[in-house]
Amino acid sequence: MSKGIPYDEALKRYQHDKEHTLPEMNEILRDYHPDYYPDSLVKLQVGINKGDLCHRQLAEMLQADARIDEADLAGTSITETNVLVIGGGGAGSAAALTAARNGASVILATKLRLGDSNTVMAEGGIQASIESGDTPQAHYDDTLKAGHNKANKKLVARMVMDAPDVIRWLIQEGMQFDQNEFGDLLTRRPGGASANRIVYYRDYTGLEMMRVLRESVSNSNIEVWDHSPVVELLSSETGHCAGAVIYSVEERTYKMIKAQAVILATGGIGRMHINGFPTTNHFGATGDGLILAYRLGAKLRDLDSFQYHPTGVAYPSHLAGSLITEGVRSAGVQLLNALGERFVDELKPRDYISAAILRECAEGRGVVVDDQTVGVWLDTPNMELREPGLMKQRFPKLFHLAKRGNLDPTKKPILVYPALHYQNGGVVIDENGHSTIPGLYCVGEVSGGIHGRNRIMGNALLEIISFGRRAGLQAAQNLSARGHKKSGIEHLTKLRRELSRANMPMDVKSPMLFPACANFELE
Amino acid sequence: MDVLNQVILHENSRVGPDLEAWLQVGGEGLQIALQDATVLIPLIKEAGLRGLGGSGFPTHYKWAAVAEQKHSNEKYLICNGNEDEPGTFKDRILLEETPNQLIEGAMIAAVALRINHIVFYINPDLEDAIANIQRAIKQWKVTELYFNVSTHLQQPLEFSVLPASGHYIGGEETAAIETVENKFPFPRSKPPYPAENGVHGCPTLINNIETLCHIPHIVKNGAKWYQDLGIGEACGTKIYSLSGDILSPGAYELPMGTSLDELINLYGGGMLLNKKFKAVFTGGPSNTILTPKDLDVPLDFDSVAARHSNLGTGAMIVISEGTGIVKRVAEYVGFFAHSSCGQCPSCKTGTYYIAMLLNKIDMGLGRRIDLDALIHLCEILPGSGRCPLINGAVKVLESSLYHFMGEYEQSLID
Repeated sequence: MSKGIPYDEALKRYQHDKEHTLPEMNEILRDYHPDYYPDSLVKLQVGINKGDLCHRQLAEMLQADARIDEADLAGTSITETNVLVIGGGGAGSAAALTAARNGASVILATKLRLGDSNTVMAEGGIQASIESGDTPQAHYDDTLKAGHNKANKKLVARMVMDAPDVIRWLIQEGMQFDQNEFGDLLTRRPGGASANRIVYYRDYTGLEMMRVLRESVSNSNIEVWDHSPVVELLSSETGHCAGAVIYSVEERTYKMIKAQAVILATGGIGRMHINGFPTTNHFGATGDGLILAYRLGAKLRDLDSFQYHPTGVAYPSHLAGSLITEGVRSAGVQLLNALGERFVDELKPRDYISAAILRECAEGRGVVVDDQTVGVWLDTPNMELREPGLMKQRFPKLFHLAKRGNLDPTKKPILVYPALHYQNGGVVIDENGHSTIPGLYCVGEVSGGIHGRNRIMGNALLEIISFGRRAGLQAAQNLSARGHKKSGIEHLTKLRRELSRANMPMDVKSPMLFPACANFELE
Repeated sequence: MDVLNQVILHENSRVGPDLEAWLQVGGEGLQIALQDATVLIPLIKEAGLRGLGGSGFPTHYKWAAVAEQKHSNEKYLICNGNEDEPGTFKDRILLEETPNQLIEGAMIAAVALRINHIVFYINPDLEDAIANIQRAIKQWKVTELYFNVSTHLQQPLEFSVLPASGHYIGGEETAAIETVENKFPFPRSKPPYPAENGVHGCPTLINNIETLCHIPHIVKNGAKWYQDLGIGEACGTKIYSLSGDILSPGAYELPMGTSLDELINLYGGGMLLNKKFKAVFTGGPSNTILTPKDLDVPLDFDSVAARHSNLGTGAMIVISEGTGIVKRVAEYVGFFAHSSCGQCPSCKTGTYYIAMLLNKIDMGLGRRIDLDALIHLCEILPGSGRCPLINGAVKVLESSLYHFMGEYEQSLID
């Protein structure tokens, strides 16, 4: 008789594993997702969203005092332009290019350098329903469903209908995509979607996108102001947005840019490290745009909803928070807990998987290193066994990352833990990216309503181009011959009045501009 | 906060464009006026009503001058709502919230002076105000009161609503007349005064919205009542448009003669963030500056004038320590430079030149000779234009030089 586990016992173990199936979506989110942590939410006391729930750290910034007052603007230089784009990522570049190509004079001011943004960190790809059998309707349904039906349906409809044309536009700009031997675009399936819909270039799609956008911007007549964070927007006597005050880091002075339209493309809040999570975001993602727009009176939404990417690197600790693309999971890599058990369907929406990982860790099935770092396995060696060499070809950035951590993903699984990834909410916009403040457009991560309460992979790169182009066109077409009579920071007086009345502490200053580790002080 | 002696902004008056609601509290003034029109001008005179659009000119003089004109059967009343100065926002509230009060006041004026054309001349940006006035007029036209007025005039009373051209200078009396005649608002030289030779050569009365709003109440309650509303010698009430570094800005209707200190610290809730009070631009920028030593001044035309300043429209733009005076003045003079209609060379070039010098000094590039040039311009420019625009630009500069010469000198290179 051969050795082994008897039939009955094996069946029992098998059923024991079955008990491990996950609870319902709502239940696991409520119990484990960081958006639902007790004490993390407060009600806003000042401004147009007064009474709305908001994350505590973000609320502190939204209800802080401004960095400048009238005295700081004495003797500042003034530059005039038709359209001012704030932010040098994909959304800002797409908006600036479209505005400039439609006849507007454009200044693009960016806190770091052109292209220094979360766009280049985007790895997985961009969604567009281009496969036969796939439809924009399916794309629309998937996006709404993943966002828990909280997205603005009009915005989603616009975006999914734009999607194939966005890909065409990007290819015309010169962007590369992975293709099969016949030259057809390769696609893969994003988590939470019903079809193969992601087009991609290796695992650095965003970097490739930014490469061509950056080149197009340099070849246009757009004036790019690097190292110029915006410290405040300007308002006109009629309540329009009329430009911005920027701080030139190189010259260490304030400068004013007067514009007839401002396109805010400042990205998200990752570097606020909400709930103490590590972040996949780049250095400049400090949520400045939200604060600037809110002070001008723009309505915001879903300020209590953030996305935690399931697979941020957990160990080695110097790479904590570095992103491992969802493309890896799309390609078939599985997640395992410390017992070596698979605990979730890897192609569920991101919030669900993150919550599932947090549950494993909270219930003692996580992998612990050095008594402080905890995570779960991303089972890359298994993938290597099944499809030798494929990973290295498709995910060079993953291997680059592993090299920095002195790991070999083909031999050892990678330890991962959720990392703060994306701000689901933001400034309320219409179908052309226009906020509730005349003259102020918001595109990209700073805008809200497109993703509801959870974003699906590949929609961020799609959104920035789709709405970036829309806002750029709209801004260029609606220039009035008569500029604003007066532009200034009058709205800050209103803010300070409200803060005084609400007894808010006036010692906190915002926007943050740079993360605390930068030790940066304005003059 | 309870505000004493509120009349034209009293909640009973702020009933919107609905005529029936207004007739619950108003209408009596017009009925009294129709009984005996001859007593009206002496009544206004006795009440001490003055032009609240900025001049402080006694209203009864203008009325009497128009009433005397016998050469024409056609007479015009222009209700001047071209309010466009930075810091002034009283007419907007009156037009939006009390259009019927204004129309009744205008009709009483028509009865007193036998005026048959009433023109509501309104800043085109005030879209709600224009809509409300139009709605109110439609309702008045079918009332018995309206027919009684036409019967009294022995000709139909005509109303029209005219959005102004959007130029600041269009608020000047003669420029308003030009606009009504469908021309560009170039001010005319005076004399002849509008009372003799106004719209199409007809006698024309031009009153500010706030002035006209007081009329129904004065006729209804009597001159003595109106006099008693004010503090000390001053009569009636005034709407102060309070703005700037203040906790609670807004339009406050207070007894004429309320002190600046009370306005800022009691009604305005004090300085924002407890900053120190530095100055206030009274009457909007076309007037002058009051400083901390003037906090006790009663805000009526005569008392403010005694401090070498002007009450103007009642706008009070409050400035705290830390705000550069030179920059503010440069902004205001820049406003005048943009607003100059350009027909008088001294005004066209003078305002631009002053603004340029001020900006230069504000940017820290000014020299002593630039400051001397400004002082010199203050002497030669006033009175060199057809209208008072250039005087306004110089006045605010002169006043800032008088109070804050040190700040100017500090900004100079040499």
